Amino acid sequence: MREIAIVPLQEFEVPLEAENIRPDLFATLSLEEIRDLEVWEGNRKRVLSDLFSVADDDGTGECLIRLDGDFSRVKRIGEGMREGKILVRGNVGMRAGSGMHGGSMQIEGDAGDWLGREMRGGSINVKGNAGNYVGSRYWGERCGMRGGEIKIEGSAGAYLGDHICGGRIVVKGDAGDFPGASNRGGAITIGGDAHLPGAEMVSGAIVVKGRARVLPSYGFQETAEIEGKLLWKFVGDLVEKGKGELYVALVEDDGQLDK
Amino acid sequence: MIIKGGIVYDPTNGIFGEEMDIFLDGGKVVEEAKGEEIDAQGLLVMPGGVDAHTHIAGTKVNTGRIMRPEDARSGLEPKTKILRPCTGYTVPNCYAIGYRYARMGYTTVFEAATPILEARHTHEELEEIPIVDKGALTLFGSNWEVLECVRDGDLDKLAAYVAWGLRASRGYGVKVVNPGGGEAWGFGGNVKGLDDPVPNFDTTPREIIRGLVKANEMLNLPHSVHLHTNNLGKPGNYTTALETLDIVKDIAPTRDRQVLHVTHMQFSSYGGTGWRDFKSEAPQIAEYFNRNDHVTMDMGQLIFGNATTMTADAPLEYSNARLLHAKWSNHDIELEESSGVVPLVYGRKMPINAIQWAIGLELALLTESPWKTLLTTDHPNGGPFVNYPEVITLLMSGAKREEEMATLHELVAKRTVLPTIEREMDWGDIAVMTRAAPAKVLGLAEKGHLGVGADADVTVYDLRPEKIDPARDHKRVKEALGRVKYTIKGGEVVVRDGEIVAVPRGRTYWVDASVPEKDAERVQADLVDKFDKYYSIQKSNYMVQDAYVTNPVVVKAGVI
Amino acid sequence: MIVEDVLCPFCGCLCDDIRVEVEDDRITKVNRACRLGASKIRGHERIKAPMVREDGELVETSYEEAYRRAAQILYQAKRPLLYGWCSTVCEAHKKGILLAEEVGGVIDSTATVCHGPSIIGIEEKGLAGATLGQVKNRADLIVFWGSNPAEAHPRHSLRYSTNARGKFTEGGRSDKKVIVVDVRKTRSSKNADKFLQIRPGTDYEVISALRMIVGGNGDLLPERVAGISKDDLVDAAEMMKAARFGAFFFGLGLTHSRGSYKNIDNGLSLVNELNSHTKFMIMPMRGHYNVSGFGQVCAWETGYPMAVDFSRGFPYFNPGETAACDVLANGEADAALVVAADPASNFPRSVVEKLAEIPVVQIDPFENPTTLISDVVIPSAVAGVEVEGTAYRMDGLSLRMKKLVTSSYPSDEEVLDGIIEEVRRLGDDN
Ligand code: SF4
Ligand SMILES: [Zn+2]
Repeated sequence: MREIAIVPLQEFEVPLEAENIRPDLFATLSLEEIRDLEVWEGNRKRVLSDLFSVADDDGTGECLIRLDGDFSRVKRIGEGMREGKILVRGNVGMRAGSGMHGGSMQIEGDAGDWLGREMRGGSINVKGNAGNYVGSRYWGERCGMRGGEIKIEGSAGAYLGDHICGGRIVVKGDAGDFPGASNRGGAITIGGDAHLPGAEMVSGAIVVKGRARVLPSYGFQETAEIEGKLLWKFVGDLVEKGKGELYVALVEDDGQLDK
Repeated sequence: MIIKGGIVYDPTNGIFGEEMDIFLDGGKVVEEAKGEEIDAQGLLVMPGGVDAHTHIAGTKVNTGRIMRPEDARSGLEPKTKILRPCTGYTVPNCYAIGYRYARMGYTTVFEAATPILEARHTHEELEEIPIVDKGALTLFGSNWEVLECVRDGDLDKLAAYVAWGLRASRGYGVKVVNPGGGEAWGFGGNVKGLDDPVPNFDTTPREIIRGLVKANEMLNLPHSVHLHTNNLGKPGNYTTALETLDIVKDIAPTRDRQVLHVTHMQFSSYGGTGWRDFKSEAPQIAEYFNRNDHVTMDMGQLIFGNATTMTADAPLEYSNARLLHAKWSNHDIELEESSGVVPLVYGRKMPINAIQWAIGLELALLTESPWKTLLTTDHPNGGPFVNYPEVITLLMSGAKREEEMATLHELVAKRTVLPTIEREMDWGDIAVMTRAAPAKVLGLAEKGHLGVGADADVTVYDLRPEKIDPARDHKRVKEALGRVKYTIKGGEVVVRDGEIVAVPRGRTYWVDASVPEKDAERVQADLVDKFDKYYSIQKSNYMVQDAYVTNPVVVKAGVI
Repeated sequence: MIVEDVLCPFCGCLCDDIRVEVEDDRITKVNRACRLGASKIRGHERIKAPMVREDGELVETSYEEAYRRAAQILYQAKRPLLYGWCSTVCEAHKKGILLAEEVGGVIDSTATVCHGPSIIGIEEKGLAGATLGQVKNRADLIVFWGSNPAEAHPRHSLRYSTNARGKFTEGGRSDKKVIVVDVRKTRSSKNADKFLQIRPGTDYEVISALRMIVGGNGDLLPERVAGISKDDLVDAAEMMKAARFGAFFFGLGLTHSRGSYKNIDNGLSLVNELNSHTKFMIMPMRGHYNVSGFGQVCAWETGYPMAVDFSRGFPYFNPGETAACDVLANGEADAALVVAADPASNFPRSVVEKLAEIPVVQIDPFENPTTLISDVVIPSAVAGVEVEGTAYRMDGLSLRMKKLVTSSYPSDEEVLDGIIEEVRRLGDDN
């Protein structure tokens, strides 16, 4: 294992874009070359060593990037990575792991918006909370996440897994509004509450172990036991002739279950 | 400027591969000139390319951009000292359009469909497209005043209205899309054939086409009527296309050109009774063109991958969107037109798409005279214009066609005759299809050739026609076509070694046609009434102001 | 002198039939405009001269000095925001985009606080639209959802929608049906044939229910959805299907309630599906007269209609990250240029506080609360009254604004040119 440790030299006034912080790229470079990689501080082009201290343990084999400190204003970490590991000992900024194909990212703090946007493979674990649009698609695209796994120990924001087409997202806490919208084959599990899950879902599955408001365009099917919990099972979204499965523990009002 | 020693293809002037020098001065081709020398020794030289049918400006195009951020994210090119940043593939931003055409050696491009009411918008965008000269065709096929004149058989008034509409829109020619269909779509309907009446207007597509073609010739316009047929995009529509070609046969053009140009013929050459038995009828269409000289067409070649369809054929777009479950934008224009925009992906393994791809090539290869078949992709309907090099190599290389066909759905071999076609076009054919013929079809005397007096628009390719065999080395040819050695526009080098080196402003062509005063007055009286009752704006705010066409070329036409 | 057919530089209706009397280069009378438009055209007290902040106070200065100071602020910034643009002409938008490219900034319009979500909805689904004259001539059913034209777009009804008369709607209001959907009774709902009063934040569910009915699945619906009985919903859906031409106008009540762009997304699908039964169009009721124009210009120049980030030299678009609200709320912007808008009044308080912390350059004819937090203030001529230029109506129709009187102030376009020139000079020096 080769471990590269990166520590911010300062607090960042404006956000950075650091899509070059990815282990599969580092693996091919010497420490000097890594220090010379391009980073953007707002509209200014910098190199990594202008803004971070970078240390290399000179190990061999798989590359691990350890990010020590507050990276909440550093965007695009691990973007498109195919292998290797990133360990963030703090918070991480927007679009971390977006377009990720493989490898793993462990975030000990919170993650910003668009975590794992359009992810294809690999895994992301967040100890804290994550922002909006986790595992979602880019605007106008048909597919968000297509593969891999995102696990969030805390809660996630709105639009979780928007247009997810594959892969798996597990949130221990709550999710915000519209998780799993336009799902076309992904699997989402939410430990807590959510609002209007599965809008325009075509296929795939969403499990809400807490409370959720269910769209009137879902048909109730039966009760089902999932991981030892009795849940209501719905199918939809019928406005899209969807066959997605939605499981909810507590259904919010409006007599959804009267029929 | 002197372009020295190139191997020149200038079909208009009967020059096919002669080594010669070209002299440029004052923005024109001249007999003799001094100054900068461009070393083109042994390189392929042609007039600047002319695109007679492309969708590059106006409401539809911008709607495409607005609804497709996923398209803009491809094709990124950052700002440089002289270039604005670029985005997009099927719906590139204005700057990308100008730069990308210029990099392929094109210097004149015509936007194919503008409603009068929204022409101001079209010109706002045309003004922002750098380098190339341009023009816009104006839509007339569902316009209430047109429908009423046709219904009443009042050709004088119709001609006067067309002249006024061209002036109001600063338009160059008469475009007709699915005649009558745009009006029917106002209440969600369509017209199903040439004799299907247009609801509420007591006329038919046949009458609209004939009326407008006659009016076009009465006005002696440089371009003929430019038609998108009824039933376009539907299986079995080749009969509509053939019938359409025939109904204008008896009308004599007043200029030395076709009497009707039928655009993106690929979409109108379909056989079968439905999508299941969908097949090519391109041979029948090509045969018609081989037997008749009164019409021209352009290919509307399909390119695999992303496309954004956009057309004034709004009902077609709605059915496309429903069929493909795709995004759908529609836009109806009061008293004039309707239009739609639908993004889609053409797949190699999709039988329909593979057949469509073959049809475009069949049309070009089976029609003997290249003067009758312009090279287009109906950008971005069949695919983006940046793929012209791909189309050219397909026409020039049987080997390339075979390689491609091997990757397609096998029905392409059963439902088209493409595999049996051996023709491989030469540089002369290509120079006709991309330069000489589009200029002639549009009636642009100073474009598409290199005779004395022509505009100083020249392409020098990094290709040695005497050394390279396009049938074999199609990869190399395609690369060179996409990244020219030089593009010279108006006597200025704008592209060198594939890079933009200067960004002059292009000009905009429009046609000012005169008509007898009494007819003009009758039209004005009608219009006063229409603005009073039906339009949502005032008549005085309707016409495109000069501020929107700051570098015009006004072409005079008309009856007096 | 009487100037006919003047365009109104106030709301997205962009009325073009205003008649203005001008004497001695002053506007003396405004006819045909509604009260909102008339007061805009008449104008009110202006910012007298350019000002820069010295020791906390705004003090008057020359235009040259103001351009220089503005250029310094924007050029030095690592993430400048160029915001506003709703109440000026497209010619100024073009300069604004050029300036954003030059300084590597983020440019966004007031759509971020109005119809930004609508545009995102359109990016998902496309938009079935039409010009307003098409509605006037054909529509026999008008739906207002979360919009109250009686207050915000006073002449909309008469010129274009419920009370307009056209070729196939000669009877005006008596030929038409009107449905209003809102969370409260409004002046517009009083004029409705059917009013659906829904619970706040339930728009999405109600639209889904209507889609179910239109799609033939109404029998699967529960008896009540979001406080509305199924019978009422079926009734409304049947009215929509029975229309010969339906027009669905929505306002901030739909875009800014819970659900945001998803509400629009769903509404667009509803209208798409209604077109399988009849003809239907849908349109956002754009507020300021040329916010729509900014979207158009921005799209043809950059490929995106708003929220464009040029920090890397090419356009990047990602509302939620690059919209003005985001860039400010996340504390990303380190300077701002505000043109023809008033974020200090329209943004949430916490965002305004962020804006107050960074250097702000304002270009506007009139003083507004944003002036108070600005460091450079540059007064300009009133577009559409004192300068000509292009504006786009809410339906995307482009029209030319007139010049009625001459102004001693430079136009927004000229001011921006002045700043661009200074920015380029700074670039050359470095
Ligand atoms: S409705 Fe709007 S555009 Fe018309 S006059 Fe009133 S404010 Fe002006
Ligand atoms: Zn076309």
